[in-house]
Amino acid sequence: MSGPAQGQTRGAIKIDDVVKIYDPDGAAVMAVDHCSLDIEAGEICMIVGPSGCGKTTLLNAIAGFHEISSGSITLDGEVLCSAAKPKAKPGSDRIVVFQNGALFPWKTNLENVAFGPLMQGRSGKAEVTEKALGMMADAGLAGVEHNYPGEVSSGVRRRVEIVRALMNNPKVLLLDEPYRALDSLTKSVMHEALLEIYYKNKVTIFFITHDLEEAIFLGHKVAIMTTRPCKPKKILTVDIPHPRDYSVLTSKRFRELIQETSEAVHEEALKAFQAGEKEG
Amino acid sequence: MESVQKAVMPEVMMEIFKRTMPFQVVSDVMRRRIAALGWQVSYQAGAVLYDAGDKADDIYIVVSGKIEHALEPGVNARRPLQILGAGDVFGWAALLNTYPARLAKAVCIEPAEVIRINGDELLRLLESDPDAGDVVMSRFATMITRDYTVPDLIAQLRGIHRKLHSGDIQGMNLTLYRLSRWLKSPRPLLMLIGFTLFVAFWYLSVEVWKLPRFRELPGITTVFTEWISKDPVYGLSIYTPEYYQHIGMSVWRVTQAFFLATVIGVPFGLFLGWSKKFKEYAFPVFELLRPIPVLAWVPLAIVMFVATESAVIYLTFLASFFATALNTMLGVESIDESYTRAANCLGASKWQVFRHVIVPGSLPFIFTGLQISVGVAWFSLVAAEMVSGQYGLGYVINTSYTMVRYPTIVIGMITLGAVGYITSAMVRIAGDYLMRWRVRELALGGQS
Repeated sequence: MSGPAQGQTRGAIKIDDVVKIYDPDGAAVMAVDHCSLDIEAGEICMIVGPSGCGKTTLLNAIAGFHEISSGSITLDGEVLCSAAKPKAKPGSDRIVVFQNGALFPWKTNLENVAFGPLMQGRSGKAEVTEKALGMMADAGLAGVEHNYPGEVSSGVRRRVEIVRALMNNPKVLLLDEPYRALDSLTKSVMHEALLEIYYKNKVTIFFITHDLEEAIFLGHKVAIMTTRPCKPKKILTVDIPHPRDYSVLTSKRFRELIQETSEAVHEEALKAFQAGEKEG
Repeated sequence: MESVQKAVMPEVMMEIFKRTMPFQVVSDVMRRRIAALGWQVSYQAGAVLYDAGDKADDIYIVVSGKIEHALEPGVNARRPLQILGAGDVFGWAALLNTYPARLAKAVCIEPAEVIRINGDELLRLLESDPDAGDVVMSRFATMITRDYTVPDLIAQLRGIHRKLHSGDIQGMNLTLYRLSRWLKSPRPLLMLIGFTLFVAFWYLSVEVWKLPRFRELPGITTVFTEWISKDPVYGLSIYTPEYYQHIGMSVWRVTQAFFLATVIGVPFGLFLGWSKKFKEYAFPVFELLRPIPVLAWVPLAIVMFVATESAVIYLTFLASFFATALNTMLGVESIDESYTRAANCLGASKWQVFRHVIVPGSLPFIFTGLQISVGVAWFSLVAAEMVSGQYGLGYVINTSYTMVRYPTIVIGMITLGAVGYITSAMVRIAGDYLMRWRVRELALGGQS
């Protein structure tokens, strides 16, 4: 199976001609420029672009944190936001895993994981706790349930945060460079752990990164974005079959794909760098 | 059975550890320390390494060859029979709390080389470095669930895992923990030196050198003989009941004022920070009133409140209220937007965000505010008790001034300082208790 989960019906995102213009002090800045992107249900879609290229703006629009200026975004045919309704309503069908992590430091890991279902009042506390314990154990998090996030390593925190998201049975996980702050060793472990979790809970994953290797290793589809304004420059379908493990990194096909795309990425990085210099 | 023990070969172990589930993620230094615990053993085909029910002492890591690993029916494995090869880890029953005995039968089916590590020694090593230990044990947990298909056993591992954490420091324990750290540090000594220098300066400048401006002040010997005298010259010492009435009255007034400042100031500050609109209305007025000193309020307080007692409490309350409300507002504004966004994503309503994110998220600032608040309450009390007819430490100081009882003034001042210090410490302890998450973080970070 090289494509996403077969028979998966939830979590198809259609980004259609989305434009986002920021208007600070009357000087309009275009962050997203007529961007269109189709993400299949159950697909891991990696969004690659240099820092500050506007990819987070896109994520914020899907999550419902920011308005869009025009275009539309639909999830399973339902309109999240459009010109008529520029800001989507945040909901537990689309959960964000934040760049710097947003586990509540005042709640234990278990309380964090149980947070979503308890707030939505979908089931009783005992039931939620039991499910949370089960999901944490499945993700190799047994033993840290009653610790506070500040007491465990950053790698463990990331896993807790992903489990917290999955507790709500979301259609889409929106990951905003979640492994940016991790060292490369921990990062490789986290990739393995993320895939492990993904194979068990098929969800659509919208994953922002600036790391091309990470993108090709994890993704079914890799969208390389142009720098501000942001829109897909090149969309690559990664034909390395899932499930993948670390042997992929040394495979011939992986190297070929990197070669095919690195030029496009480099070009945009250079543009972003030069633009930054001009502003500075 | 036929086993040959060989000399330790650390490099081989290091290489194989990089391929094992539990050890592949730790640092090279830690791997080397783990390798130092291991020894290598060769087994012939057909050798039984252990059988279910045997004492579980060592864990095993396969270097080469094949081992058949059959879990006994009692542990409910989904796939009890596994063939293990290079890099696989077995014998992990040695790491379980409640299973001192083997849960499986391990038989060598192809001539095999394995590394054996004593389970207790490994646990001790992991406990000495909780960060690495945490990772290794959670990897064991994953391995037992995934490779050996016995998720039920995770609960047994949990015990080991938990005790790796550097102490379940909670609430009051934390205060004690801080205290013991403080006592072990050089700080108590420095504090003692500070006090000694202060007392020495007081004594020398007033009574020995009789420095200009200082010689008129009450000397330390006069003050202390008066303070501990059974028959005080000016009528106030630790033996007179009035002394305690004054303290009691002041404490009671500060308590009421502090309580009011907290129950009004905290919600007020929370709303200031939470609602932009409310802030637009209220904050400018708040900022206009905040700098006005307590003394300036005295005449109005007397007009406003018929009973002097209410006027005193009102005056003591004012500054506390401003300190509490301002810090609470800053606390709300300090909360990272990601937290509220995350709560929104997870389906929390506006009220739930307030209750589960805004309030706990601003607690560190609130408690900073409360510590300041209790301090300024004592500060304002002296001014407020000038209004009041009788009792209170501020009253003692004021009347002693008019009646020229200088040693009593100093007694009142020192008592005020000491009681203020104690109440401030109490607020801090309450804060520790309510913010376990934060202080446990700090304690683990080696700070206090």
